[in-house]
Amino acid sequence: MTCHPTRNPFTHSETAAVGVAVEGLSKSFGHFEVLKNVTFSVKPGEIFVLMGPSGSGKSVLLKHIVGLERPTAGRVTVDGRDAAAESTREQVRMALVFQSGALFNSLSVYDNLALYPREHRIANEAAIREKVMRALQILSLEGTANKAPSELSGGMKKRVAIARGLVMEPQLMLYDEPTSELDPVMSATIAEIIATLKEEYHVTSIVVSHDRELALGIADRVGILMGGELVSLGTPAELRTPRDPRVAEFLNPKIDLKHPRFKKLET
Amino acid sequence: MNQLTAILEGIGSTVQLLFRAAFYTPTLWRQRARFIEQCYLIGYTTLPIVAILSFFIGSVLALQAGYSMSNFGAKQFIGSLVGLSMARELGPVMAAILLAGRVGSAIAAELASMKVYQEIDALETMNIPPARMLVLPRLAAVLVMMPVLAIIADLVGWFGGALISKYTQSIAIEPEAYFSVLRRFMEFKDVLNGLIKAEVFGFVIVLVSCNIGLNTRGGPREIGAAVTKAVVTSLILILVLDYFVTKALMHLQS
Amino acid sequence: MNNAQQTARVGLFFLLGLALIWVTFETLSDGKVFKDRGYTLIAGFESLKELKQGDEVRMAGVKIGSVEETHLSPSGRRAEAVLRIDPKVTIRENAVASIVMAGLIGTNYIGIELGTADAAALKDGAEIQTKVTPDINAIMSELGNLGKKLEGALNSITGAVSGDGKTPGLFQKLDKVVTDNSDKITATMTNLQDVTAKLNQGEGTLGRLINDPKMHDELVASVHEIKRVASDARTFVANAQAIIDQVKTGQGALGALVFDEKTATDLKSSVANLRAVSDKLAKGEGTLGKLLHDDSILRDAQAVLKKANTAIDGLGDSGPITALGVVANSLF
Repeated sequence: MTCHPTRNPFTHSETAAVGVAVEGLSKSFGHFEVLKNVTFSVKPGEIFVLMGPSGSGKSVLLKHIVGLERPTAGRVTVDGRDAAAESTREQVRMALVFQSGALFNSLSVYDNLALYPREHRIANEAAIREKVMRALQILSLEGTANKAPSELSGGMKKRVAIARGLVMEPQLMLYDEPTSELDPVMSATIAEIIATLKEEYHVTSIVVSHDRELALGIADRVGILMGGELVSLGTPAELRTPRDPRVAEFLNPKIDLKHPRFKKLET
Repeated sequence: MNQLTAILEGIGSTVQLLFRAAFYTPTLWRQRARFIEQCYLIGYTTLPIVAILSFFIGSVLALQAGYSMSNFGAKQFIGSLVGLSMARELGPVMAAILLAGRVGSAIAAELASMKVYQEIDALETMNIPPARMLVLPRLAAVLVMMPVLAIIADLVGWFGGALISKYTQSIAIEPEAYFSVLRRFMEFKDVLNGLIKAEVFGFVIVLVSCNIGLNTRGGPREIGAAVTKAVVTSLILILVLDYFVTKALMHLQS
Repeated sequence: MNNAQQTARVGLFFLLGLALIWVTFETLSDGKVFKDRGYTLIAGFESLKELKQGDEVRMAGVKIGSVEETHLSPSGRRAEAVLRIDPKVTIRENAVASIVMAGLIGTNYIGIELGTADAAALKDGAEIQTKVTPDINAIMSELGNLGKKLEGALNSITGAVSGDGKTPGLFQKLDKVVTDNSDKITATMTNLQDVTAKLNQGEGTLGRLINDPKMHDELVASVHEIKRVASDARTFVANAQAIIDQVKTGQGALGALVFDEKTATDLKSSVANLRAVSDKLAKGEGTLGKLLHDDSILRDAQAVLKKANTAIDGLGDSGPITALGVVANSLF
């Protein structure tokens, strides 16, 4: 893990890292059960990678942690506070990097990044500018400051979203597929940033990703969600020798041209 | 039953949104740049269409009044008829309908797309309440701009009526006579009445459009549905509220 | 577009709106919303009739306020209008308010008379004197009553003047008197002429007449009587004429009703007869001396005069004239 001091996005960080606990979480949309009794906890300063096939409920789980969804049963706490309560967001600084970026289309890239410090009056305009430019620099986005989000490519949008998260100086950072749509070098950079945040500032990170390299490279622990259930939870080392055959297949899918999976599904 | 609960939910969430936005009123000064921007969008850019429509509404009122009133020799009262109907009813209602079509739809589209593309979620995770950043400046802007739009609608309508009264062969009433009758049978409270109505309409249109936009669920297709819903709901509310506000104002003034 | 430009446009737009509202306000309400709203007076009426809230209050035709409220008085015995009066206008204590109708379709206003300058000014909340003016409904019903009365009056006039079959009317009676006696009068006149002629011829009998003083006195008395009767008749005719003239010129409808052509002609001829008689009588005075040689003629003349006397007395007593007088009094 390389850690270059100039890439340090934070000028200060007094607050301690926070832990997350998910206890017996279930969530249904109508009759469709997305999450079934999921229980795990993330220690302060840990990097927790959540893996799983598409549609297994990973993003919904993230939304519960950040308080955008309310659990049907069970509960989620952040730093001991109920994640669904609005006051939690005021007490704990959380940043969620959406899969799509969720940039404000009406604002320029610079204003997207500057929105949080401006709204919360964290610093004066000069300090904000310095902070924003540094975050852009980290993600090699200097040239995009005055562009509109619609002018950016998918990968650039994702990086801007991460930069926006960095500017918030969060205690808890959540990433929804941070490395999808990115080239391998940029994916590695993202992984480095996540690791740096942990090592230097004990930022707790929860990463939803399909990226096996990232998971095995920087994660302290990895959880695997399948069909709304947490089927595996352990360190990357444990994951290299999975006991569950579903997990084994998910982590090391063999491309078998003689017996394609879609044909198996049909029979 | 589902329809009914949906309507009740809509009313409930609208009222909630109103209280949330009202709660953040003290932050308005900090958001003055956004407020000015919304004033520009709601007021300034809506003016031309309001003026054009009001002109023709006033004209057609004069024309119809001339046609029907000359049957019993009362066409010299066209000025008061056009003046009163524009000020008390058509000025505010027309301005509100245009606001619903132009501003309500734009608000619903913008907020619905922000919702669909998770910008609203992003705001919430950033602890920036949408009611504060998105709704409050719009509500404040419409409150400031709506009376301006309504008075322009009134005056343009009056002048449209005067012009038509003068240049239509079968009516041929001089503007002096038109305006003297208008003045004789009107008081400022008639105009004030209309301005209050316009204020209520504008406020409700923006609030409802914001709420519908913010409560959009699903994919991009829902953005279009939200716009339709916002405009239809606004139009219904304008006409329903028109009755009740008119009644309430009459009651208050009597 | 930069931000400053946008802000400027919004500012300009808003100011324009404010200016327009202000102009409209000034034009329509003479700026009264923010100014002193004036003081109130209370006007009590038996009925407010068509008076509504918001109707004008005018003094000598100038608008000085409006009716702010209408309600029944606490005692419930009358209606009260609360008048909001322009603060610049002073209303004197002896000014009187009344409800005035400005049009037939129910636009009323309160009219206040000026009062006199020496009276004290009414203060806020004071009560103003009122008077009742007939409203259109009252006038209409009065007119209806008047019509009925007129009809009755005209009927009795017609009855009195032209009779109703059973009792003869004034003109019939007059007519009758004159026609009944005209033969006799004419005969008398002829006789008188004969007498005069005889007198002219036979002077010898005059001495006999003169030697009889009793006869002379009687003659003189008779002549006086004749004179008196003649002048009475003249006065009556003049009176009748005056009444008829009044009827004729006073009211067209009444004149037409009363004055039908036939009666008029009758009346005229009667009057002419009467006049002829009296004229002849008056003229006869000079020839009287010659009359006196013949007893029988004298007796005849006396008898005739007596008859005329009775006839004229009867005329004086006859009811219809009194009736006419009453009618005439009630009418004019």
